[in-house]
Amino acid sequence: MTLWDIPAKKSGLISGLDNALLPAVTNRLLEMGLTDGQSVRCLRRSPMNGPVVVQIGDCVYTLEQSIADKVAVSSLS
Amino acid sequence: MFEQSSSVMKNIILVGKPNSGKSLLFNQLTGMRQKVANFPGVTVELKSGKFGEHTLIDFPGAYSLSTLSRDEEIAVEKIHEAMHDDNTGVIVCNLDATRLERSLVFGLQVRDLAKQHDKALVFALNMIDEVGRFSHQVDCDKLSEDLGAAVFPLSAKTLVGIHEFKLALNEVASQPEKYIPRQRVPDDDSVFNVSRRIAKQYGIHADIVLKQQNTIDSFLLNSVLGGVAFFSIMFVLFQSIFTWATPLMDGVESIIGWLAVAVTSVIGQGVINDFLQDAIFGGLGSFLVFVPQIMVLTLIIGLLEDSGYLARAALICHKPLSYFGLSGRSFIPYLSGHACAIPAIMAARTIESPRKRLITMMTIPLMSCSARLPVYALLIAVLIPNTTYLGGLLSLQGTAFFVLYFLGIVTALIVSVLLNKFTENDSDKAEMPFILELPNYRLPHWKPLILRVLTSAKQFIRRAGPVIFMVSVVIWFLGYFPSSEHDLQGSYLSMLGQWIEPVFEPLGLDWRYGVAILVSFLAREVFVGALGTLFGIEGADENIAGLAENIQADGLTLGAGLGLLIFYVIALQCVATVATLKGETGSKKIAWGLFAGYGLLAYTSAFIVSHIF
Ligand SMILES: Nc1nc2c(ncn2[C@@H]2O[C@H](COP(=O)(O)OP(=O)(O)OP(=O)(O)O)[C@@H](O)[C@H]2O)c(=O)[nH]1
Ligand SMILES: [Mg+2]
Repeated sequence: MTLWDIPAKKSGLISGLDNALLPAVTNRLLEMGLTDGQSVRCLRRSPMNGPVVVQIGDCVYTLEQSIADKVAVSSLS
Repeated sequence: MFEQSSSVMKNIILVGKPNSGKSLLFNQLTGMRQKVANFPGVTVELKSGKFGEHTLIDFPGAYSLSTLSRDEEIAVEKIHEAMHDDNTGVIVCNLDATRLERSLVFGLQVRDLAKQHDKALVFALNMIDEVGRFSHQVDCDKLSEDLGAAVFPLSAKTLVGIHEFKLALNEVASQPEKYIPRQRVPDDDSVFNVSRRIAKQYGIHADIVLKQQNTIDSFLLNSVLGGVAFFSIMFVLFQSIFTWATPLMDGVESIIGWLAVAVTSVIGQGVINDFLQDAIFGGLGSFLVFVPQIMVLTLIIGLLEDSGYLARAALICHKPLSYFGLSGRSFIPYLSGHACAIPAIMAARTIESPRKRLITMMTIPLMSCSARLPVYALLIAVLIPNTTYLGGLLSLQGTAFFVLYFLGIVTALIVSVLLNKFTENDSDKAEMPFILELPNYRLPHWKPLILRVLTSAKQFIRRAGPVIFMVSVVIWFLGYFPSSEHDLQGSYLSMLGQWIEPVFEPLGLDWRYGVAILVSFLAREVFVGALGTLFGIEGADENIAGLAENIQADGLTLGAGLGLLIFYVIALQCVATVATLKGETGSKKIAWGLFAGYGLLAYTSAFIVSHIF
């Protein structure tokens, strides 16, 4: 499952980034905290498949679908 | 021979994560007034100021030493340059105490770079007041030890620790060799792990800091309430420019009227009297009336920028804007384009996708900037009755304002779609995704806000004032002479006017409006000043009624008036904007192409509108 599929108010652990992402984007995501094993929480989803709002570490980010669905997530809780 | 002392005149560079408070700290240290606002990506170019005998340089924020957007690219390129520059004495790395982990990812990278180049580096642990509110204490001595570099807790807002930091910074600059970082991230570890570990040990727990922000977000980003809130905020924004400013504008208008009467009654009848009344009080005066509106506009945009709402607005707008080939990030330059297009075009640097950035820049001139305000306000006062509903809450004129702003935005969106069509076959690979950090909500910092409002008024007057003054004087001379009755219709200007009248006749406008439109290519506000002078000469008597009443009495038709408004919504009558576009897009063709294109579109639309109504 990916970051895009987490229902609102649920958490999970990041388990990898898709190889299809541009290297620059992958780097950026890592630096923003989307590293393996980092816990993420989906705070809310927007209507009409708009960007999701997620909490990663001490930051809150909003990501659009085209990246969120390339971040693998495991152990949903 | 003298040894060159290493202690004097060094550059101190100020770097850090976006939105960590660098610019506010810079302002406190240098006494300057760089733009500070509560969203990532405010500073988009290097700014330097004096800190004692040293030069302090404020950098754009960056999340890391690898880059996505143009503002970050500038920051990182310049950081590398500074590391190799002998003049760089000290690197101040700003950390946001409420986002320690994220700040450290960048901070540690810079620290290691500084160590590698034997540069002095200190950490400023900013926003200490915000973690203090939750009674969280940071053990800075131990943190310094773990980071291998000095850490200074401070708040650029409440000024806690600023005095100590100033003293320390002078000390560091005089002995930089003592402050070269003592540690670097070991090869078998990663920046991410170290940051996380240190943040866990010293930082405040994320859930505590984020609680308030998440509560507010559950309203403002709610699927239903969020949309309602967004539209309400935008409506209040544009409507209040009109309604809040009206009493102030009336005040300025009566002061000018009173001054005019006082001055001209002392001087007595004659040419000088006519000149003062028409060119100075009529021309320049009718422009000064609009200063309060500029101030209200700046105040409201400032409130929004400082609150942290803009990042949310970008999120809400992302999906809708993406249908037009834009990004949610385009929202912020679009909004600030309502004050002035020039900083807005610069602000577009934060848009990651080059194509979306280009399209955003090209359409920003369609946002109704403050220079159009006087024109809108004047024509609305002429054309639209001053009716209010709901006990003054909703005014017809205020709504007309909103419609004009809205029209500019809609035109921008349509143009974006067209531009997107034309550039579609370009490389889609360069498409960068939308990622944005949502900052804490903050109460606006009133002092910089007030200063900003005052500065905006000063700049407005300083920029357009001299031009309007000159144009008013020239127009007055051409309009006053040679006819002995000092009748406008028999003047030089009128003769010149006959030449241009054919151009404006299809729009239902006579040569006086034609002259005012032409001179407003110098600056849009000049339109009001020029008309003020022209009607001043015509309304020969002691009649210093408002310009709007004079135009009404003269009989401007509704169609022609609306056409004129549309013309001003679309036309790109600003040389400075063309120059900025040229600089930022790197293309003369794009810049002047837009000038011509928007001009043509403006004329055609005005023609159509003037024939419909
Ligand atoms: N409470 C508090 N707020 C602060 C402090 N320093 C800055 N801020 C606020 O933080 C926000 C960001 O400040 P800026 O100075 O614009 O941040 P920046 O690091 O220059 O941001 P970029 O230019 O976008 O990288 C503004 O709303 C400031 O008012 C502080 O010490 N305490
Ligand atoms: Mg800044």
